[in-house]
Amino acid sequence: MKRSQFIPALLALPFTLLMSCEKSSAPVGADHPKAAKKLTIAFLPKSKGNSYFIACEKGAREAVQELGAELLFDGPTNTDPAKQNEIVENWMTLGVDVIAVACENREGIAGPLKRAQEKGIKIVTFDSDTTPDARSFFVNQATPQGIGEALMDEAARLCAEEGEFAIITATLTAANMNEWRKFIEARLAERYPKMKLIDTKPCDDQKDKAQAETTNLISANPNLKCIMAICSPAVPGAAEAVKQAGKAGIVKVVGLGLPSENKAYLKDGVTQSVILWRVADLGYLTIQAAYAVGTGALEVGSKSIHAGKLGEIQIDGTSIILGKPFVFTKDNVDQFDF
Amino acid sequence: MNALPAPTKRHWVRHETLLLLMLFAETTYFFYFARNFGTADNISNIVRHSAEMGLLALAMMPVILTGGIDLSVGSLMGLCAVIFGVLTHDWHWTTLQAVAATLLAGLFAGGFNAALIAFLRLPPLIVTLGTFSLYRGLAEATTQGTKIYRSFDPDFLNLGDQHFFALPIQAWIFALGALFFWVLVHRTTLGRSFRAIGFSPEGTLYAGIPVERRTAMPYVLAGLTAAIAALLFTARLHQARADAGTGYELAAITAVVLGGTSIFGGIGSVHGTLFGIAAIAVLNNGIARVPGVLKAGVGGELASMLTGALLLIALAAPILTRFITRGRATQT
Repeated sequence: MKRSQFIPALLALPFTLLMSCEKSSAPVGADHPKAAKKLTIAFLPKSKGNSYFIACEKGAREAVQELGAELLFDGPTNTDPAKQNEIVENWMTLGVDVIAVACENREGIAGPLKRAQEKGIKIVTFDSDTTPDARSFFVNQATPQGIGEALMDEAARLCAEEGEFAIITATLTAANMNEWRKFIEARLAERYPKMKLIDTKPCDDQKDKAQAETTNLISANPNLKCIMAICSPAVPGAAEAVKQAGKAGIVKVVGLGLPSENKAYLKDGVTQSVILWRVADLGYLTIQAAYAVGTGALEVGSKSIHAGKLGEIQIDGTSIILGKPFVFTKDNVDQFDF
Repeated sequence: MNALPAPTKRHWVRHETLLLLMLFAETTYFFYFARNFGTADNISNIVRHSAEMGLLALAMMPVILTGGIDLSVGSLMGLCAVIFGVLTHDWHWTTLQAVAATLLAGLFAGGFNAALIAFLRLPPLIVTLGTFSLYRGLAEATTQGTKIYRSFDPDFLNLGDQHFFALPIQAWIFALGALFFWVLVHRTTLGRSFRAIGFSPEGTLYAGIPVERRTAMPYVLAGLTAAIAALLFTARLHQARADAGTGYELAAITAVVLGGTSIFGGIGSVHGTLFGIAAIAVLNNGIARVPGVLKAGVGGELASMLTGALLLIALAAPILTRFITRGRATQT
């Protein structure tokens, strides 16, 4: 019985595979992008459901419409590096021209990206880079210097360039935040002699802990004028502490985070400013760069790129920098949905 | 063995045949409608992306055949990946030593499941639900949920990326695994005892078969296979993390049940499982290439939806056809 059902089954399997192999020698179908002379750009976020990347996608769609390119947008449902690699490897065999990717796994995705490059597919990264040899350009949303200076300038503006302030960071060892703090302190020393940084507290990237640390800072320092929260969970955490202490408006809150997470506090006047880049512009610029690389208009060594409505954007080596961070306040926060 | 009934014989269409027809229809559809589906590169993608899930399904098949289940294999993949990362990075073992130790760890973890199920007679669903959390928890605790092990021996990474005689290395490993499990289940007395245990554990005991030891074996093999899958996964992604293999246990069970193995044990074939794996792997890859789906970028979501539908159709079809034929029989 076993044999009688196994043998026909086994015979049929290679036939199925053979059938699919035949296609490889057949000419590529008419829907191939090259035949239509339309550049196909595949756009891969870290995760599809994240409002940050949905805003990116919006900008990307605007750019492909202007440029007349075809956009493929796909990504893991949750941040999943395995899925990202698989999507890249599948796009490679689809005949796309350019892949733009926000990398979840810097080294791990480099292998598939390099193999794509060998097949003549151009690679552009955005938001989070891969190793430099696996892509042509990195569209960088902001430099550490840009972020540090924007935070310090905004805090100084809110305090009228005078008084005590404190920083809430994620951990005292987080490399990116230490880099930002270096530029915050440099800007402070250079421009704002009447301001004083009294303390820097870690919150382990937790909102609750940020709230507790802020409460402590407020009660220990009656002259505190401003809290600067430089990791995203700390911004609403610090705001909640200020609100519960009844110090809204007296202790200002400025931070780096998503406007949507801070909208209520901005509206209530607890948080004055949230600093981030215009995420939709990041998607827009990424597509502009991908298109320029795909058509050969942009090559390594170019000093700037003309990026549609964003105008002329500077290139530093192989990184295309979006520009200065943007300040979200209670007046403009409604225009954004990330 | 002769005393055991052979219920699959009574169906006018065997499950495996039906599934093969579905696989054939699916492949034909994608061959004509999905963009660049049949290219050699893409077929290699299908194999590389499904090898780990496929191996787990192969190992799951004898487990389910005995009437058991192993929910812990996905979590064990995460634990084995982390163990491999710790050994190579923190303990500075050579790759070969670390591979051996990881395989041993898989054996032990599988053995732990087996001991609780076969010797303490605890229900497999509950035991492996426990180790499902336990193994993942251990992996996450070791890495504090954040640490990721990167940079491995290039020779090791070749396992994930390179080809050997025109096929991805994973294809050869998978083929070896398939051969091993096919011979084990269909050509050895061990395999026949798995089936017998699935039908009737008491009857098997009275037939003089050491039921405890025979029940334990598939779980130990599943543990070892999870370790192999973890190594392949690590090599393919160039990184070891605690969340490796999340949800893979369910994909593996789906492939086995889709392949015609009864969830109550006793009935099933390894080649059916192979068709089940192929049907899921082809669907995952092909659906995202159908132009409309490609444009909307919803391949992943549609694939899981259709896998579910495929499973339900494959399970319901033989029963429905039996109803119809039986109805006809009473009419005449």
